[in-house]
Amino acid sequence: MMSDGLIALNVNGVRYELRPRVTATLADVLREELGLTGTKIMCNEGECGACTVLINGRPMLSCMILAIDAQNKDILTIEGLANPVTGDLHPIQKAFVDYSGMQCGVCTSGMILTAKALLDENPAADEEDVRRALSGNLCRCGSYRRITQCVLSAAEMLKAGGKDE
Amino acid sequence: MSNEFSVLGKSVVRKDAVEKVRGEAKHVSDIQLPKMLYAKFLRSPHAHARIKGIDTSKVEKLPGVKCVLTHQNLPRIHPLRMFEYLLDETVHYQGEEVAAVAALTAELAEEALRLIKVEYEVLPAVFEVEEAMKPDAPLVHPEHGTNIYHGTGLNPIPRLSKDGWLRLEVGDVEKGFAGADTIVDATCETPMQYNCSPMPRAVICEWTGEKLTCWADTQIPLFTWRDLSNSLGISQSNVRIISINSVGGYGGKSPEKTAILTAILAKMTGRPVKAVYSRAEDCIATHHRISYKNYNKIGVKKDGTITALYSKIIAHYGRDTTVPCICQGTALLEAGTMLYRYHNSKAETCGVMTNIIGYGAMNGFGAPEAMYSIEKLIDEAAERIGMDPVEFRLRNCMRYGDRAMEYEQVLYGPIKWGILGPDLDSFPELIEKCAEKARWKEKWKGWRIPMAVNGPKRRGIGIAIGMHHCPFWPSSAIVKMNQDGSVNVLSMALEMGQGYSTAIAQVVAETLGIRYEDVNVIPSDTGVAPAAIGNVGSNATSSSINSARLAAEDARRQLFEFAAPRLNVPMDVLEVRNGNICIKGTDRAIPIASICMAHWQITGTAKNPPLESIRDEKTGEVIHAYAAAVTIAEVEVDIETGMVDVVRITSGHDCGKAINPIICENQIDLGLTMANGWVRTEKYVIDEKTGVMLNPNLLDYKLSTFLDMPRCEDFETFIVERPSAWGPFGAKGFSETSMTAFAPAIANAIYNAIGVRIREGFISSEAILKAIEKADRG
Repeated sequence: MMSDGLIALNVNGVRYELRPRVTATLADVLREELGLTGTKIMCNEGECGACTVLINGRPMLSCMILAIDAQNKDILTIEGLANPVTGDLHPIQKAFVDYSGMQCGVCTSGMILTAKALLDENPAADEEDVRRALSGNLCRCGSYRRITQCVLSAAEMLKAGGKDE
Repeated sequence: MSNEFSVLGKSVVRKDAVEKVRGEAKHVSDIQLPKMLYAKFLRSPHAHARIKGIDTSKVEKLPGVKCVLTHQNLPRIHPLRMFEYLLDETVHYQGEEVAAVAALTAELAEEALRLIKVEYEVLPAVFEVEEAMKPDAPLVHPEHGTNIYHGTGLNPIPRLSKDGWLRLEVGDVEKGFAGADTIVDATCETPMQYNCSPMPRAVICEWTGEKLTCWADTQIPLFTWRDLSNSLGISQSNVRIISINSVGGYGGKSPEKTAILTAILAKMTGRPVKAVYSRAEDCIATHHRISYKNYNKIGVKKDGTITALYSKIIAHYGRDTTVPCICQGTALLEAGTMLYRYHNSKAETCGVMTNIIGYGAMNGFGAPEAMYSIEKLIDEAAERIGMDPVEFRLRNCMRYGDRAMEYEQVLYGPIKWGILGPDLDSFPELIEKCAEKARWKEKWKGWRIPMAVNGPKRRGIGIAIGMHHCPFWPSSAIVKMNQDGSVNVLSMALEMGQGYSTAIAQVVAETLGIRYEDVNVIPSDTGVAPAAIGNVGSNATSSSINSARLAAEDARRQLFEFAAPRLNVPMDVLEVRNGNICIKGTDRAIPIASICMAHWQITGTAKNPPLESIRDEKTGEVIHAYAAAVTIAEVEVDIETGMVDVVRITSGHDCGKAINPIICENQIDLGLTMANGWVRTEKYVIDEKTGVMLNPNLLDYKLSTFLDMPRCEDFETFIVERPSAWGPFGAKGFSETSMTAFAPAIANAIYNAIGVRIREGFISSEAILKAIEKADRG
């Protein structure tokens, strides 16, 4: 089953060399090989957004990407979002904590990372922008209203100088 | 209001918030154990078949496959459902387990499934309720003699008639209808709905000698524990069910069968085994919301008095269920005799088995389905007599002192009515406030007159109300005080996203006068926690958290016992405040920590008192536990495309006391979003030829998204606090109630917009266009 191919993945600023099976998705490798289980699997077929990670800053579904295709790219998972030195939460994470932007928590990582990509690209995002950017991320607990508010308040925090890393 | 409390009633940060945003919260599917094997299940491709033979020889030769279970090498183990065996010679729906495999990797286990050769004798099958009720219909369970469920020895329902009908009658309906000025009737078929937990079913089982540990994503560890113990013939002391971060199940998280099969695979291989369903498997092989064919008839007087209600429910069970009659009992009671002052009512129901997947619990547990039908009919009745629908509901809604009971009584008897407590006077308050906030008087232009017309777009407004139990069950809890005065709470109830661990910590901290941060709720572990029913029926707040409050009171009493002699005062002048035991009205105090240290171990324990002990102060009657909800929906319907936009929601909820308001609001949003999905986006498509779900994925089975719910400024929820007589600090479980009113409010708003009633339960664009076309043809 194992491929002979050694691959290198840059995840959260760390370079990993590993030999995944050829059929392994990025989500499989993150979760099973690297123990980064903050990337959650809800559908495993590209329909729900839960497994979203940022690849070169763009939100991508890690269950739909083969690990071998993710080489030489910067991969950011939820575990890499907080300040690596101080451990301080990113303003979006902080907003989700302060305003209870989660219930069961399975969609949370994907929501936060998708929101980060949005706010990085468009710091002035308004409610409609947030709703559209996150509309591919499903939340069965129905916390959409709260999540929208969290992302908008994080945008305010970022504008006010809560510096993104 | 919350000024008198230090932490109760405040939106403190959730206990699990930081770990969830950091990606540190572990779920069962995240856990890996050394030497762990992976289980996969072979499922029947036929809706009804007898297995003539299974050949597993090729699989057994496949390196890395460690165990294959079929009905041929497994004893016919304990029926789980009414007619379900672990692996059976007969399969009753497409998706039923035929074999189980454990292998070194999940991929290998899947490959193994493809090598199992099964020879089936296909049997006649039936998928429609009406077809299944015919005398010559194929029998789903021949040993039962009929497809209409009439009870089994496993779970006898004493009030079920011999031919399978459950009835509840109040007053004299014949007389009631005779005294009506007008009678309105309608039928409605309520749609199925897939629970769709964000995390498909997952368990891990590991044996150490004769002791089994099972990490289960369950919402009822108690049942998983009992079933594993019973089925495997081991004592409960040797079964540990650990549930860490269970994931919202909305009624669906009961993995007993999967857990038993996985435990057997683990036993036979001597290694830990993990089973995680794929999304498709979770769709076709767990369970779903029950569907009703509902006929209702109501009699009203011109002045708006309801004189009688007749309600008939034919429930679609599928292959069978673990909860026979319970959803229907809830429906007969809550919708058929309680929601309004019907004065005379008769409600009856039967459950019909077919060869589709079996139903199970889902948010509201049988009540929202019946209320959906009733609330549409109530609207028709109000229209018939030309009364404003808000006024009609205000006039007839139930309130304090009205007759109430528990669903258990409907099933098991005796029928002995108690009453709704003073808290249920929240109904008129909720309706009035909701109408005011939604600016009903301004927006409601009258029956069949839309709020606004803009080209093909018609805007309409509609209201509905709902209620549901928040049971007071025999829950128990342990409050273990540590030597530094901090606390661990133990209970078999659990966090699964609804905010349980936060709310229970707030209640315990408040009761003991300690910091919220110093209360740590231990994830449910049946090896250490006392029994609680778990997170079903919105009982966690009313029952489990209440027992934790009582356990904290027990601990507090012990603290006072030890502190009183030290302070040289009687116990009754003591109180807890800021981590101290204080003499009321003075500064004299002794730290709780010092008492805890000196006395080594203080442990508070409690079990809820019996329901009958909760009596109304004024009347002495037994009070039954219910919560109420009101929702007003505004919709915009495009009469050319049939598309519906829910443009505004105003929704009021009675939760007794909001322990944590922001968590309460999140639970309200859950109910509203799930109700929206149920009747508008989540079309559950069953293949007429095979009875299998045709859209078992999240692309074709459409959960509501951000864009299906209104923008924040048009999404208004509010809470009414009228303390209950039973819950902790007056709090009640209201989460399931929160979904009851929205679906019918949408339907009623659509009627206001287009002037045509949609009879289908699932409101598709097609259904709207067809209804408009039919009305145009006259």
